[in-house]
Amino acid sequence: MAREVSKGRKAAVTLLAWGVALLIFFPILWTFLTSFKTEGEAINSHPSFLFFDWTLENYETVNQRSDYLAHFWNSVVISLGSTVLGLIIAVPAAWSMAFVPGKRTKDLLMWMLSTKMLPAVGVLVPLYLLARDTGLLDTKTGLVIVLTLVNLPIIVWMLYTYFKEIPGEILEAARMDGATLSSEILYVLTPMAVPGIASTLLLNVILAWNESFWTLNLTAANAAPLTAFIASYSSPEGLFYAKLSAASTMAIAPIMILGWFSQKQLVRGLTFGAVK
Amino acid sequence: MTVTFRPLAGASLLLALMGSASAQTTITVATVNNGDMIRMQRLTPEFNALHPDIKVNWVTLEENVLRQRVTTDIASKGGQYDVLTIGNYEVPIWAKQGWLMPLENLGADYDQADLLPPVAQGLTVDGKLHAVPFYAESSMLMYRTDLLAKAGLKMPENPDWDFIADAAQKMTDKGAGIYGICLRGKAGWGENMAFLTSMNNSMGGAWFDMEWKPQFNGPEWKKTLDTYLSLMKQYGPPGASSNGFNENLALFQTGKCGMWIDATVAASFISDPKESQVADKVGFAPSPVRKGGANHGNWLWSWNLAIPATTSKAEAAKTFVAWATSPAYMKLVAEKDGIANVPPGTRTSLYKNPEYLKVAPFAQMTLTAIEAANTQKPSDKPVPYTGGQFVAIPEFQAIGTAVGQQFSAALAGTSTADQALAAAQALTSREMTRAGYPKK
Amino acid sequence: MATQASRMAGRLMLSPAVLLLLLWMIVPLGMTIYFSFLRFNLLMPGTEEFTGFENYHYFFTDPAFWPALVNTLTLVLGVLVITVVGGIALAVLLDQPMWGQGIVRILVIAPFFVMPSVSALVWKNMLMNPVNGLFAALARTLGLQPIDFFATAPLASITAIVAWQWLPFATLILFTALQSLDREQMEAAEMDGAGPVWRFVHLTLPHLMRAMTVVVLIQTIFLLSVFAEILVTTNGGPGTASTTLTFLVYMQSMLQFDVGLGSAGGIVAVLLANIVAIFLMRMIGKNLEA
Repeated sequence: MAREVSKGRKAAVTLLAWGVALLIFFPILWTFLTSFKTEGEAINSHPSFLFFDWTLENYETVNQRSDYLAHFWNSVVISLGSTVLGLIIAVPAAWSMAFVPGKRTKDLLMWMLSTKMLPAVGVLVPLYLLARDTGLLDTKTGLVIVLTLVNLPIIVWMLYTYFKEIPGEILEAARMDGATLSSEILYVLTPMAVPGIASTLLLNVILAWNESFWTLNLTAANAAPLTAFIASYSSPEGLFYAKLSAASTMAIAPIMILGWFSQKQLVRGLTFGAVK
Repeated sequence: MTVTFRPLAGASLLLALMGSASAQTTITVATVNNGDMIRMQRLTPEFNALHPDIKVNWVTLEENVLRQRVTTDIASKGGQYDVLTIGNYEVPIWAKQGWLMPLENLGADYDQADLLPPVAQGLTVDGKLHAVPFYAESSMLMYRTDLLAKAGLKMPENPDWDFIADAAQKMTDKGAGIYGICLRGKAGWGENMAFLTSMNNSMGGAWFDMEWKPQFNGPEWKKTLDTYLSLMKQYGPPGASSNGFNENLALFQTGKCGMWIDATVAASFISDPKESQVADKVGFAPSPVRKGGANHGNWLWSWNLAIPATTSKAEAAKTFVAWATSPAYMKLVAEKDGIANVPPGTRTSLYKNPEYLKVAPFAQMTLTAIEAANTQKPSDKPVPYTGGQFVAIPEFQAIGTAVGQQFSAALAGTSTADQALAAAQALTSREMTRAGYPKK
Repeated sequence: MATQASRMAGRLMLSPAVLLLLLWMIVPLGMTIYFSFLRFNLLMPGTEEFTGFENYHYFFTDPAFWPALVNTLTLVLGVLVITVVGGIALAVLLDQPMWGQGIVRILVIAPFFVMPSVSALVWKNMLMNPVNGLFAALARTLGLQPIDFFATAPLASITAIVAWQWLPFATLILFTALQSLDREQMEAAEMDGAGPVWRFVHLTLPHLMRAMTVVVLIQTIFLLSVFAEILVTTNGGPGTASTTLTFLVYMQSMLQFDVGLGSAGGIVAVLLANIVAIFLMRMIGKNLEA
């Protein structure tokens, strides 16, 4: 595609796009900047954008007070663990729905999605009791299981829509050549589905990382991820904007950086079958 | 026909990697992210120096999150925590359920008799302490001496609500960003309702009569709400309906409030020059009374350490609880961070310490307020409940918050005082009926 | 094409996911249904007894129930409209040739990576606070009265925060879809003298239909359970102005610890969610099959 575009138009578009983008990004930028201010400066009634005394004291305070690395590690294990486990369960299911569809496949898919609508607050007590009786309270294993189940419908659906776009003839050709079912999945389907799987993985890591109901309610000291870390900086006594900003920056930075770097992969598979 | 699908092995490996074990006695302490608790957390190494065999895990959360987590856990016997930080609202209710371990024999140097009687009384069930106070607070009036002088007024010994209205009007200078009075407006049983319940007590009102009938249709609540709304709408800061303790603290510290009636612990924050821009211009007075009345409606709140009955590490937990509320801990804080930062409101000896009285100009007023708080008989009227700024029944959290929503809406201007009172009356009656009151 | 064997294998591979979700559905849901017929307050153990439909009666007659229902729908619809319209606008904008498109895209998708509780805290305190917030400072600089967002327009403020979080997601999906638009067709239409508006309405929009339904479906699932944003900012108030169904259930089961009532509310919420779901599925099904 080679559309001729005038320099002037391109400049105008660039200006507009940058303006809008910065506006959308601004709250995050502001949080980042505030994290380097003193508490007094953070609530200054004439806020300063860049020209203030930059300080690292908030980060020092936060590091002194909480074991950031432990929370970070918990977040990593829980979000990756639940995503990988989810993929392991979802890939065969999605394969079967896409290539051996039955009469009820559509209904099944929709039913799966509807389980996602179970309001978490309503089932907290039953789940808490279950977790207590199985010894899974405050364990990463428990959270991995719960988050896997919570996100499984989305994973299945994303994979399903992705698999469906893979032409069945290719599989059939492989089968003609005598490929078994497992080698068909491993050597023919999987390579073709890598972009879809990658973006499913990314999206679910993001969702699991930011999940803040179960992660907060089923953990105490051992398995608490970054969502619990944040809860110890929200509205304490006294001034807290700067410390909150520092903690927020630390909580969202890892996932944001991951997201930025893997943007292309994320976008490529994020079609949910919406692209013909 | 077999389907080989191997990655499952990977999953079990992944699961096996999670979780670890430890041989040392590890106790998990759940606490609020308030300044004094964060200091306690920071001083953990000092505790470990004395008790190297006890490892302390901290769960520090924002108050509402903490309360929800801890209540869920103790009520369902989840057993995730060995030490809980809870308020004096929960202690008697939970103790009666047998959820808390009675605390006795806290050590020879603990000096239990030194605990301030009103505070200790609130934690005693069947003659035994079921929690020990970490810090305690009552309510008082804090004001800007410079603004009051500029307004040509002098703070009386026992200000009444008429004086407050007059002073608020004269101190307000909206052009300069100064609001005569800041009060809690954020909905919540521990936020606006703590203040309004106290204020209503000072007006001679009560939540319930002896038959547990809600009293929102009575003249006292009407007077309370009308006075509150007229003060806040004319002289209060913008956004008051979402201001709680923290928001008001920030406002006062940055010089935007003339007067503020709130928890006594705020006194140390607003007179700390490191945090407050008005540290050298603050004065303290008792919480206002109604004209001719004597009830200040002082509230009493304490944050306490308690041990759930389900813990398997009772001894270690008790050792920790005793350490954190002992005279020795106060001495430790005084040495490390200065005596002004000692957790206030729990021990008589602190208020007899001349060093403390010297650095804490608010000490005497705090002590007076705590001692004046009468949680056993909060109202001038006979009532079937105890509690100063709350009603010590399990249903109160929910009812208090729902009523708080109504009053917050009246402050935001989305409903009138009469509508809010009628709604409060209706919803409280409904909830009380559902809960089966009057009981017995 | 499916042979008997592959159909069997398909079933077999499908079963773990189905069984797990079935368990996930039945166990907590079953317990919730059971609890919803009990008088069961966590704070008052030992008083559990069967009460029939009393919990449902109380839930439906709760003065906050109807406002909550309306608020839930308003919030979901509000966010959907903002994100879909905004998403299309942004996607079209991003699709234009410009300098630094990569960075622009990075900036635009950033809010999606922010935890709901963090974004609520940041918006509430640092931006929208009427005294210390940045918007208030801006208003004062312009000589205006700062707006007290959460008192005057609580639901709209929450809608704005949630929309900010979901706008990137909508933009990404719509943008991806836009890139598969047939350029030749576009250019042909341009040659024929079709204006940009005509092209947008007759070519771009129809092409984006499927992507839009996907955005609507996925977001609805998440939006129905929006909770942290309300808890952090308004606590459902003032009054019941920003109480949604999820939040109402939260108040009952987590504040009141009335598990029976909360469970009844949870079941009602599940039913409503499923009604919405069926409605959506119909719509989606049609759009995705075509």
